Amino acid sequence: MANIGVLMEIEGGELKSTNFGVLTAAHEQGKNDVYALVLGEKAEAYKDALAAHGAKTIVEISVSGADLSKSPDLQAKALAAAVSEYSLTGMLGLASAVGRDLFARMAADLNLPLVSDAVAVDFDQKTVRKSHFSGKTFAALQLDAEVLLCTIRPNAIEAKEASEAAEIVAFSPSVSDPGRVKVTDAKLTASDKMDLTEAPIIITGGRPIASAENYKILEECAQALGPAAVGASRAAVDAGFAPHSMQVGQTGKTVSPKLYIGCGLSGSVQHFAGMKTSKVIVAINTDKDAPIFEKCDYGIIGDLFDVVPALTKALKET
Amino acid sequence: MEKYLIFKSILMLAALGTAFTIFFKKVRHLYRLMKAVEGESRFQLDRIQERIKVLFTDVLGQSNVRRKTLPGLAHTLIFFGFLAVQPHSLELMVKGVFPDFEIAHAIPVFWGAYLFIADILAPLVLVGFAYAIYRRTVVRPSYLTIGRDAMLIIVFTCVIIITFSLINAFQIVLDTEYNYAAVFPVSALLARWFDLGALTQNQARIGFEIFYYLHIGTILGFLVYIPGSKHLHLLAAVPNVFLKPLEREKAMIKTDIENEEAETFGLGKVSELNWKNVLNLYACTECGRCEEQCPASNTEKPLSPKNVIHDFKVDLLEQAEPILAGNTEAVQPIMREGSPVTDDVIWSCTSCRACEDICPVNIEQLDFILETRKHQVLMEAAFPPELQETFTNLENQANPWGFGNDTRADWAKGMDVPLISDHPEAEVLWYVGCAGSFDDRGKKISKALARVLQRAGVDFAILGPEEACNGDMARRCGNEYLAQMLIQQNVEVLNQYNPKLILTGCPHCFNVIKNEFPQFGASYPVAHYTEYLFDLHKQGRLVPNGKNFGNLTYHDSCYLGRWNGIYEAPRTLITSMNAPGGYVELDRHGPKGFCCGAGGGRMFMEETIGKRINTDRAEEVVAAGVTTVAAACPFCATMLSDGLMETEAEVEVKDIAEIIDEATA
Repeated sequence: MANIGVLMEIEGGELKSTNFGVLTAAHEQGKNDVYALVLGEKAEAYKDALAAHGAKTIVEISVSGADLSKSPDLQAKALAAAVSEYSLTGMLGLASAVGRDLFARMAADLNLPLVSDAVAVDFDQKTVRKSHFSGKTFAALQLDAEVLLCTIRPNAIEAKEASEAAEIVAFSPSVSDPGRVKVTDAKLTASDKMDLTEAPIIITGGRPIASAENYKILEECAQALGPAAVGASRAAVDAGFAPHSMQVGQTGKTVSPKLYIGCGLSGSVQHFAGMKTSKVIVAINTDKDAPIFEKCDYGIIGDLFDVVPALTKALKET
Repeated sequence: MEKYLIFKSILMLAALGTAFTIFFKKVRHLYRLMKAVEGESRFQLDRIQERIKVLFTDVLGQSNVRRKTLPGLAHTLIFFGFLAVQPHSLELMVKGVFPDFEIAHAIPVFWGAYLFIADILAPLVLVGFAYAIYRRTVVRPSYLTIGRDAMLIIVFTCVIIITFSLINAFQIVLDTEYNYAAVFPVSALLARWFDLGALTQNQARIGFEIFYYLHIGTILGFLVYIPGSKHLHLLAAVPNVFLKPLEREKAMIKTDIENEEAETFGLGKVSELNWKNVLNLYACTECGRCEEQCPASNTEKPLSPKNVIHDFKVDLLEQAEPILAGNTEAVQPIMREGSPVTDDVIWSCTSCRACEDICPVNIEQLDFILETRKHQVLMEAAFPPELQETFTNLENQANPWGFGNDTRADWAKGMDVPLISDHPEAEVLWYVGCAGSFDDRGKKISKALARVLQRAGVDFAILGPEEACNGDMARRCGNEYLAQMLIQQNVEVLNQYNPKLILTGCPHCFNVIKNEFPQFGASYPVAHYTEYLFDLHKQGRLVPNGKNFGNLTYHDSCYLGRWNGIYEAPRTLITSMNAPGGYVELDRHGPKGFCCGAGGGRMFMEETIGKRINTDRAEEVVAAGVTTVAAACPFCATMLSDGLMETEAEVEVKDIAEIIDEATA
C-alpha cells in the first residue's frame, strides 16, 4: 500500500479524459491510495468522475495571496509540498505540455529523478517502462529514488473503473517564490477550427466531394459530432477543393483520432499511411470494391451527399 | 612588295603569337581547374579499343547528335565543314609568316585532293548555320536559348567560312605555279560569278589580302573567345565522349559514410566536384535537348538539366581562384543565398534519366543533382518536410508507409507462396518490394504475378518479413545513410540464402539490386518479371487464351527503359498476350518515354509547382485513344491511375502481370 499523487489536468473547465488512464496506473487495481491533485480550482464538479476512476482523496491545492495559474514555478512548488504533506511515494502526470513542464520543475525542486513519457509503472518494483523506436522496443527503467516521479504518455494506459470514496480536502502550502516565469496571457490559435493532429474525431472528404463549397456538409457534420476536424485527401487537395493544411496522408498530416470518417476515399496507401493508427475507421463510398472497405471497421456503401447529411441530422436530433 | 611581305611577316608573327599565347593560357587555366577540384572520380580508363570505336561512331559518325534529324544534319555539316577549313587556314597562317611556305608543292596530289574536299565542304557550313539561325529565330523552341554567346559564335564562324571561300576565289585568279582552279570547284564558281578574272593582278592581290586578314583575324579572335564561352564544347566534347560511361546501367555514387575523417558528404561546393564532372561542364554547349526531354522542365518546374550544368559551370569558373590556390575553405556553397540552384530545382528531379540518355556528349546531369541532394540531406538536413515521415518509416519499419514489417508477406496469405526460410532451395527468389507487399494496388499486382508464376510451374519463394525496402527512394532522396542501412540489411539476408535468381516486381527494386547491391557485396543474377516472363513465354510456358484487351498501349518505366535498356520484353509480352486486340505506341516512348512523375522519391513529395507530371502523361494516354494502358511498375500504375482520374476518361491502368494473369487464366 502506497500513497500516490496524480496531477489532474483541467482545460476550459473540463477534466481531460486522458487523466483517467493515469489514475488507473496510480491505482494499481486497488493496491494504492490515490490522491488526485487539483491546482487552483474547485474540485466538486469532478468528484464523481474521479471517484469512479480510483481517487480516494481529492486535494484542492491553493496558495493564499497568489494566483497559481500565473506561475508554473509556484504550481511545481505546491505539488512538491503535497509530496511531503501526504507522504506520497509516487507522483504521476500526463506527458503533455503542462505535465512535462511542471514535472521537470518539481524534479529539480525535490532533487529527484524523473521519467517522462512512460507507458507503464510498477510502484512495488519502482520500475517504469518506456517505448523506443516507434514501439519496436521497450526499456524497463529501475529508479533508485524515494519518490517516483513520472509522466505517462496520453492514452498509453487504458482507463478502468474503480470505485473509491473521493473525499475532497483542501491544501494550502506556504510557498511564495513565484520564480522567473510569469504567465501573462493565453491565446487560442486564431483558427476556430480544431487542429487535425489533435482532433479526437476527423471527417475527411475525398475527390468525389467535387468542390470547395461542398466541404460545408462535412463541417456541419463535424460540428454535430462534437470536437471534430475536417480533413481532405491528396486528390481533393490537388483538385483545389481544399488547402494543403487539411491534407491527411503520407505527404500531409499524420493523424490518430479515436474516430476517422472517410467520405469518398478510395483508401490509397499514401492516404492510409497517414491515418492508419486511428482507433475506429468508418468509410463511406459508392464503390463497394474500394480498398478502403478492407481497412475500415465500419463501411457504408452509399453516396456521401446522402449519408453525411443524414448522419448530421440524426446527430442533431439526439 | 618585298617590304610589304616583311611587314606582313612581322604582323602575323605578332598576331599569331599573341592569340595562341592567350588561348594556351586560358586552356591551361581550365585544365588546372579540372585537376584542382577535390572530388574523387570513379572513372577508370579501360576498354580503349571500344573507346576508339566511339570516336568513329559518336564523333566522326555524329551518331548521337543525329538522333534529331535536321539539327543533327546541320551539326554534321558545320562539324565537317569547319574541320575541313582548318588545315588550309593553318597553312595560310604559316604562309603569312613564311611567304614561301607551300604544302601544295611538297605533296601536290594529296593536298590537292584535300583542298578540293575542303572547298566543297566549307560553304555547306553556311547551309548548316542557316538552319541553326532559322531554328533560333523562327522555330524558337523554348529549350534553345539564343544569347549573345550563341550569336557571336554564329557570326564568327560564318565570317571564317565566307572569307575562306573568297580567299580561294581570289587565289584562283592570281598567277601561281599551282593550278588552284582545278582544286577549288566551288570557289571557281564564285570567281566566275563575281567575274574576278577581269581584275588586274594587283587588284586581285589586294582582294586576297583583305579577305586573308579578315579570315585569319576572325579565327584568332575565335580562338581567344572559345575557352571562356559555351563553345569550350569544341575542345571538351571529344575527350568527354571518348571518356564516356560505356555501360548504360549505372549505380549511384557510394559515399563512404563510415569515414570518420570525412568533413563533408555529397556535393556542397564546386570544389568538391571531380575532374570528370568538370569535363562534363566544359563539354556542354547548351543545345537544350535535355531540357526538351525533362519531365520537370516540361511541366513548368524550375528545373532544367541544361541550366543546372550551366549554373554549376558558372559557379566553378567564378570560384576558380580559391580552388586553384587550394583554399577550399573560401569556396562558397553551391546552394548559397541567391544561387540559381535552389531547393525547388534539385528536388524537382524524378531521376528519370531522360537528360543523360539524350545528351549528345554524354553529360551525366544526375550526378550533379543527386549528389547535391545528398549533401543537403546529410549535411544541412534540408529536404522537403513531407519526406520526414517517409524517412522515419523506412528507418523503423523498412517500408515508406510505416506498416509493421512483420506483415510483409500477408498479401500472399492463402496463396500457397512459400517463404525462402521454409524453402531455401527455390529456383527463384522473388523480391516483392514494398508497393507489392503493402499497397492495395500493388498487392493485386503481386497476386496476379504469383498466379502467373504458379501456372507456369515456377519454383519460387519470397523473403517475407526478412525483406526490407531496397533503398532506392532513400538513396535518390539523398539520404545515403538510411539507404545504406537498408541495402546492408538486404545484402546480409541475400548472402545467407545465396539465391540462384532474384526476380523483382518493381523496376526500382530491380535496378538497385542489380546495379547497386554489388557495391555492398551482393552480386546475383537479377531479372525484372517482364524479362523473366518473356523467357517463359518463349519457352511456351505461358499460353494466351485469346482474351481481347482492346487497344493497348505501354507506358515505359524509366528504371526499366533508360536505366536498364529493357524496352522489348514488355512490349512483346503484351502484344502476344493481346493477339486479338491492337497496340498503339504513345508519342513519347522507348528512350524518349515520359516519366510518370514518381521516380527519385517524388512519389513521396508534394508536387505543387506547375502542371502535374502524371496529368501530362495521362492526357497523352487519353489522346492515344486506347482502352487500357499497361505499366510495369507499381508506382507508374498509381501515378497513371491518379492522372487519369483527373481527366475523367475511361482508360484502365493494368500492370503487365495483371494482363498476363487474365490472358492465361
